[in-house]
Amino acid sequence: MDILRADAVVVGSGWAGSILSKELREAGLSVIMLERGPDRSTAVEGAYPDSIDELRGAIRHRLYQDLSQTTVTIRNRMDQRALPYRSLGAFLPGEGVGGAGLHWSGVHFRVAPDDLALRSNVIARYGRKFVPEGMHLQDYGVTYEELEPFFDKAEKVFGTSGEPYRINGKIVGKGNVFSPSRSDAFPLPALKDVYTAYLFRGAAERVGYHPYSLPAANASGPYTNPYGAQMGPCNFCGYCSGYDCYMYSKASPNVNIQPALRQDAGFRLISRAHVLRVDLDSAKKHARGVTYLDLDTQREVKVEAALVILGAFQFHNVHLMLLSGIGRPYDAAKNEGVVGRNFVYQTITTSHAWMPQDRFTNQFIGTGGGGVAIDDFNSMNFDHGPHGFIGGSPVWVNQAGVKPIAASSFGGGKDAPRWGKGFKRAFADTYRHAFAIDAHGSNMAYRDAYLDLDPTWKDAYGQPLLRMTYDWHDNDIRMNRYVVSRIEPIMKELGATKYELGMLQPGQSFDTRVYKTTHLGGGAVMGDDPTTSALNRYLQSWDVPNVFVIGSNAFPQGMGYNPTGMVAALAYWAAHQIRTTYLKAPGPLVPS
Amino acid sequence: MGGLEGWRQAIAAETDGPYTPRFFTPEEWRFIEAACECLFPRDEVGPGARDLAVPRFIDRQMDTPWGRGALWYMMAPFEAGPPNLGYQLPLAPRDLYRTGIAGAERYCVKAHGKSFADLDTDTQVAVLTSFEKNPIDLDEGLPASLFFEQLLANTLEGAFSDPLYGGNRHLEGWVMLGFPGARADFMDWVDQYGPAYPLGSVAINGETAKGA
Amino acid sequence: MRRLAFPCVLTLMFAGIAHAEPVPSAALIEEGRYLARAADCSACHSVEGKAAYTGGVPFDLPIGRLYSPNITPDPQHGIGRYTEQQFARAVREGVRADGASLYPAMPYPSYARMSDHEMQALYAWFHYSVTPSSEVPPASTMRWPLSMRWPMTVWRWMFAPKPMQARQMSERSFDDPDVARGAYLVEGPGHCGACHTPRAITLQEKALTARDGPAYLAGGDAVDGWIPPSLRQENRTGLGRWGEDDIVSFLRSGRAQTGSAFGGMTNAILHGTQYLTDHDLHAIARYLRTLPPARQPDLKWIYDARTAVALRKGDVSARGARLYVDNCAACHRTDGRGYPPVFPPLAGNPVVMSEKPDSLIKLLHTGATLPAMQTAPSAFTMPSFAKRLSEREIADVVSFVRDVWGNGAVDAGKMVPKE
Repeated sequence: MDILRADAVVVGSGWAGSILSKELREAGLSVIMLERGPDRSTAVEGAYPDSIDELRGAIRHRLYQDLSQTTVTIRNRMDQRALPYRSLGAFLPGEGVGGAGLHWSGVHFRVAPDDLALRSNVIARYGRKFVPEGMHLQDYGVTYEELEPFFDKAEKVFGTSGEPYRINGKIVGKGNVFSPSRSDAFPLPALKDVYTAYLFRGAAERVGYHPYSLPAANASGPYTNPYGAQMGPCNFCGYCSGYDCYMYSKASPNVNIQPALRQDAGFRLISRAHVLRVDLDSAKKHARGVTYLDLDTQREVKVEAALVILGAFQFHNVHLMLLSGIGRPYDAAKNEGVVGRNFVYQTITTSHAWMPQDRFTNQFIGTGGGGVAIDDFNSMNFDHGPHGFIGGSPVWVNQAGVKPIAASSFGGGKDAPRWGKGFKRAFADTYRHAFAIDAHGSNMAYRDAYLDLDPTWKDAYGQPLLRMTYDWHDNDIRMNRYVVSRIEPIMKELGATKYELGMLQPGQSFDTRVYKTTHLGGGAVMGDDPTTSALNRYLQSWDVPNVFVIGSNAFPQGMGYNPTGMVAALAYWAAHQIRTTYLKAPGPLVPS
Repeated sequence: MGGLEGWRQAIAAETDGPYTPRFFTPEEWRFIEAACECLFPRDEVGPGARDLAVPRFIDRQMDTPWGRGALWYMMAPFEAGPPNLGYQLPLAPRDLYRTGIAGAERYCVKAHGKSFADLDTDTQVAVLTSFEKNPIDLDEGLPASLFFEQLLANTLEGAFSDPLYGGNRHLEGWVMLGFPGARADFMDWVDQYGPAYPLGSVAINGETAKGA
Repeated sequence: MRRLAFPCVLTLMFAGIAHAEPVPSAALIEEGRYLARAADCSACHSVEGKAAYTGGVPFDLPIGRLYSPNITPDPQHGIGRYTEQQFARAVREGVRADGASLYPAMPYPSYARMSDHEMQALYAWFHYSVTPSSEVPPASTMRWPLSMRWPMTVWRWMFAPKPMQARQMSERSFDDPDVARGAYLVEGPGHCGACHTPRAITLQEKALTARDGPAYLAGGDAVDGWIPPSLRQENRTGLGRWGEDDIVSFLRSGRAQTGSAFGGMTNAILHGTQYLTDHDLHAIARYLRTLPPARQPDLKWIYDARTAVALRKGDVSARGARLYVDNCAACHRTDGRGYPPVFPPLAGNPVVMSEKPDSLIKLLHTGATLPAMQTAPSAFTMPSFAKRLSEREIADVVSFVRDVWGNGAVDAGKMVPKE
């Protein structure tokens, strides 16, 4: 077997893997990065105008995971047989250099500080009985103040556009009144409002909410980041989610970090390298490196390394831990074990509005991360007492560029014909006048929502698929319905001729066929208690301390915000701890 | 004259001339043409599926990695389950079409004594409506509704994708909607609130919509 | 260490020449490496995908096709047998070790002003640090009589300065030592005039230094279809509106607020100028800014906002305007100002206003990638439009950008398509 050696091996080339690689290189470690998909460079693959292709991009999934080689199985309940996720639907993991960080939209939040200690905050405010039976409500074990420098660093690397509210405790702008104080402004000013965002801003303000510009990793002007990587400005072309940005304005590992890494002789990227397992010693207390399959030669290759970083997509990280025997697998029947525990998602529903025929929303104009949002019903920003649920949702107009194939499946709305006579009229009359408002909310963790290995189906390499056991729960459905009901006053204020509110239905099951969001989380969560978390507060495995697992897998519950900003901050936070503490004395950073 | 002109002429000739399907048999082709037109008929709003060469688009899609099922997880065992857990048949899209058309034709002959293409428009609509709404089993466990949804999705793709893939002939699908296509630059328009976007559609290969 | 020892061993084994002299100091080799970059030896002697300095770069000259030779220290196929004196004579005087004359594609008239010490350093770098390679470039296909080397000797006698003369020319007095350094770099190792100074019918540069008159760096003849622009202070077609920092940024990274590199200049920056010190880059910029406009009257470029206003309204009635909006405006903006340094401006860009539109036409055909540089690691691609636009359309859109925003280039609207 071929053997490669490096100080550190990094699995995955998305944001988590790229940030850790850059940080470890700055610390002087030699780094091998493994990516199972193809190499991707925006200057090659993303060039104008070939990348402006809805069929090839969002519909045929150019940048997404190749399910033919490996997928997951899904069931709603523990007593069901899980079936393979054979074609992409509800969520879209990435593949190839950049990972999901290449095809994301660009919404770049920090965190609502209350969400980091949600369990403590809910109990302090509403009492222990407020937490329903079967809900695994947990704290992250880290505070906003500790993470703040790393949020700041990530924004500067991403070239994030936004409007601050408070800097060092002083109110400085018209940003989100619910957002915590910052140490610095955004590196770029907020993007312009598209028409529908402007309408939403005005209406939300008039009904007494607190609208703000979404923080967006879509550059509002030319920008050079601390790594020397350059971005062009977003021109609202609308090809963000599912595309590499030909304007180099949507932040991606490919545009913002990889250019610097690729010039660095101490860094080596190996693409088409499918990692099979982390190699552990017999006691399963120390990792020796990883073994991957070279997809071109079909030969197994060992990478020996003193430090192993799992920086793949959320559930791929959990899958690798389960396949390798890192940490104790979660057993839902006994409610014991931690790897696979607290698998979470988000609740997202879309409401629609239609403007009069002389008002053109021009939905094709858009940007993935931009828009206007309100946080009045997110996190702990409102009183949950009367409602009896935990969690919340930001609400926003995030017009990311509605293209015709995607729009055609919705056509003229729920009541309009889907095809045949009348379809075209309804669609043509509404396409340029419609728009959407999303409630993009939290999702709590439950005892019966988890990840483990599937007993039946295998991937192309003979390894068991990961199994998801997941369904919506009453708490989250009620949360979604409440928040969506709070959209109605905005709808009435907008000047829309018609609107439809989209919400989860009581008892509704999770449907794998229809896209919702790719914001999966948990499964290997961080925390202070090794019996309820797989990772300590520095994202270090409690059980195998030379393995760090970076990603949204660390979230104990699904938050209302988009996860990428939090993932990037946690990546820099973990990297900082590795650089300043771990490398001097490798071992557990927190005694277990 | 550069190679470009020859290339363009070749595309134009193929775009406007008769099309010989590469995947579908003549009988299947008749079904596809009729069913697409029924789903997306020519009317006062704009061209129909035939005008937009949607059937040609679908035929070409059959010979892509997607059509061959290479983008899907197709490993056994194949087991039935609740619809919300997604597609579970062993059929790649091209096989789904082959099976679905055969089943649909059998259904039409049995119920109406004719091939789908030979039915009058109202009956065609009735047949497709029953496929859409009812759990009729066409063949090999293929529910009619699943075949219907695939056909509808691909018809809409053919009407609205870049002409590069053989449909959306002369960008007329986009013109109908007022979608500008592959220009992908709205810096001047992002803050013009309310009016229609005035510029016509353009395709990846530079083709522009007539009169726009 | 291995890199140092390896060529020595080869030289000993294959050439049988015992190196009595000690291996030069690391500092001297480093100095040589810096000079090799300042002199951009790679631009003409390295091909992408092959080892450095193995030659094979084609030059299509009026006299035929010439391939640059392998200048690695390989004794058979490179210059491994050259002594330092022979090396210096080739670089500065255009005479090969066998006494034959080099073709004037080799800018020895410029290199002539490098000092003996610099020759020593350059020789040390090439001889002791470059990896030898047995790569054999394709044979040149020069047409008779110039396929014979002796007419080159006559050319050399007629047009090339002797090193002593050349050095004296560069030792003219400057008030500012930085300008003096810049003059030396530009006129000497940088050999900027090789492309940017027009050549006479007999192929010599019409001026070798600023002192030779206004032809110096006034814009050269096409090189591989690219037209090297004037580096003098013409307001519209030269560097008249480029500040010192713009020039420095351009030479360091290929990108500036005023324009981005493409064509032959990309490699000159990639292999050469990006490695120069800040001090040397500023010296070059200061010197270039002392060269007065060659062309009179020197009309000023004044931005004209009418086109931007029309395009923002959706008025694309001007010829080429719709093509511009469909193909170019995404990156270069309807106001022509681009998004520098990522996407360069077309408004007021000297390349756009150049007398000849050839570079623009070629750029639309071939596209271009601005590669990663050490201080600017991002690569950017302008796609080729050869499959998207016809010759007529290319002519229309090129005429458009040359005409609007105050560009008003001389022949705008008069271009004849090649169809």
